[in-house]
Amino acid sequence: MIDRLIEWWTANIPPWALIALIAHGAAMLTVAYLILLERKVASWVQDRIGPNRVGLGFGILPIIKNWKMNGLGQPLADGLKFIVKEDYRPAGVDKILFTVAPALMIVVVIISIAVLPWGGTRQVQRVITIPRSGNVVSDDAQSHLAQGDRLFGDPVRIGNTRQYQVTYRYPFQIASLNIGVLYILAVLSLAVYGVVIGGWASNNKYSFLGGLRATVNMISYEIPLGLSVICVVLMYGTLDLNLLVEQQCHYWAKIIPAWNVFTQPLAFVMFLICIHAEANRAPFDMAEAEQELVGGYHTEYSAMRFALFFLGEYAGMITTSAVCVALFFGGWHLPWIEWAWPALKGNVDAAHPALTTSLIACVVRALVFFGKTLFFLFVFMWVRWSLPRLRFDQLMMLAWRGLIPISLTLLMMTAIIVYVYRGNSYQRIDGSMAMTLLVANAIVAALIMIITSLLPPPPATNRRLTVLGSRFNKPPIPIAAGVAE
Amino acid sequence: MKDSDVIILEEPKLSRADQFYLPQILIGLGTTMRHMFNVVVRGKDRVIQYPEEKREDLPVEKGGMLLKTYRGVHRLNKDDEGRVKCVACFMCSTACPANCIHIEAAESPWPDREKYPAKFDIDELRCIYCGMCEEACPVDAIELSHVYDIVGLTRQEMIFDKAKLLNIFDETVKNEPM
Repeated sequence: MIDRLIEWWTANIPPWALIALIAHGAAMLTVAYLILLERKVASWVQDRIGPNRVGLGFGILPIIKNWKMNGLGQPLADGLKFIVKEDYRPAGVDKILFTVAPALMIVVVIISIAVLPWGGTRQVQRVITIPRSGNVVSDDAQSHLAQGDRLFGDPVRIGNTRQYQVTYRYPFQIASLNIGVLYILAVLSLAVYGVVIGGWASNNKYSFLGGLRATVNMISYEIPLGLSVICVVLMYGTLDLNLLVEQQCHYWAKIIPAWNVFTQPLAFVMFLICIHAEANRAPFDMAEAEQELVGGYHTEYSAMRFALFFLGEYAGMITTSAVCVALFFGGWHLPWIEWAWPALKGNVDAAHPALTTSLIACVVRALVFFGKTLFFLFVFMWVRWSLPRLRFDQLMMLAWRGLIPISLTLLMMTAIIVYVYRGNSYQRIDGSMAMTLLVANAIVAALIMIITSLLPPPPATNRRLTVLGSRFNKPPIPIAAGVAE
Repeated sequence: MKDSDVIILEEPKLSRADQFYLPQILIGLGTTMRHMFNVVVRGKDRVIQYPEEKREDLPVEKGGMLLKTYRGVHRLNKDDEGRVKCVACFMCSTACPANCIHIEAAESPWPDREKYPAKFDIDELRCIYCGMCEEACPVDAIELSHVYDIVGLTRQEMIFDKAKLLNIFDETVKNEPM
């Protein structure tokens, strides 16, 4: 009975469906708890403790009623509050766009989770019964597999029965897209529509200003973001995130993990800066600068609509952090431990460390990937509570006078090195090439320091304008008649 | 203001490394990380868990509150015979800068004074707790107690009448004798 159930399950439920369910569930739950983490980090930085009253018993469930669990129930209570709050819509808003904007925001970030490489590729052997007699073609066996499973090799007939041993592989991610990086960049840049439409539809000057600022911010920082990603993509000649991770799964000098953060540290720093700007977070949170714009583009939103904006922002952070991990920190690669457990390293083909036969290894890889992502989410919060907000001209100057020239120089440097070392073939980066890339990064950094000191200074920000009546051009104070001097 | 009075502050010159911003940013991140470490690992937060811990229970050096000089909600004092001490002279309501004391005087039922307050209302929402009523009172009848946690669900509830103010005296006289 159970055998037949498993048979039916593996034949009809594609693995990506389950992964999608779990990954999205985990992401959405993480978002809720990220808000708790954000508040906790904020308090720790300010020598406080943070929310510590609401436990998972909420003061009503038996047994755990009085257990406060350091505020673990807070996100759920917050979520409940968002659901039961009045969904207020001010007069004069554009009704359709006002409703569409938060939905757009959340849809965009949810679909961007699709291409994250959670755990490499799994290879499975299974015995299937093919009812047709005669010669078996691979197509016939393929039709007995679930969608997304790719047959590997020919099915082997067992004895003289109708049962065949098939070997197939499926990627441990929702959608194995060979343009994964491009897809994420394209989809995430749509998030700006949610922001700008929300700001415009609110019929509020501050919201509108917030939307405008978000647009400028996101469009400016998309360029260095893309350029720093290209630096990595150029080295491997692929946009498939799974392949990009796989190429980082080895060691230089047998001890240093071959992560791109060591070959492209400058690109990593720029990528990190740009994803902060993309997420519209401090120090780039011009769009919702509380002190200037009330709340920015979501001033007029309340209840679940506001929650969707909030969710979108945090889910976007998860995606960008995950991409950062996949591109620069070896994705699911857990260095040094894998010698103890070969399945984690890939036990099928030494040239393809992503391939493994163990499902548990895939799950552990997903957890490793998630753990690394959580670290970058923490960095987001750490940065937010450390750095003051940039002024608008500083924001633009950092992108156009700073990041874009640097990333272009770096891209050129990488292109030359890649051409010199390997011509047209793409494989792993060996130690000497990594060393060269590191030196090239250092040279670019030094060059920039020298060139910035030679460049003419930018125009002064607080220029003294002699406009009549300004604070620099006041008429002399009249001395009252009759007062002795 | 003359032009020469304007003090123009120049931004400090950035060093080569600082023009890259990153060293300074890392220093800033280090500062916040130090605070996080102190709170999470060493438990050196500065939080008083309010309803369980109260400021008046802590020494002043540790963020405690000096109750001796604290001005909380008002009370109407009673004399030895349990009568209200107030003689309805209107000194407090005259001195009140927030105009929150409303007194209605009546003929006193006792021989030792002419008047007594038939009504004595203090709007605790209007009050700014300056303590001038206490200073103005010639018979030490009105005083500010050390009670600060007063709550109400309506504005009407927060207008304290004579009975309520006398009740506060009964509650606080043990800890704060006249």
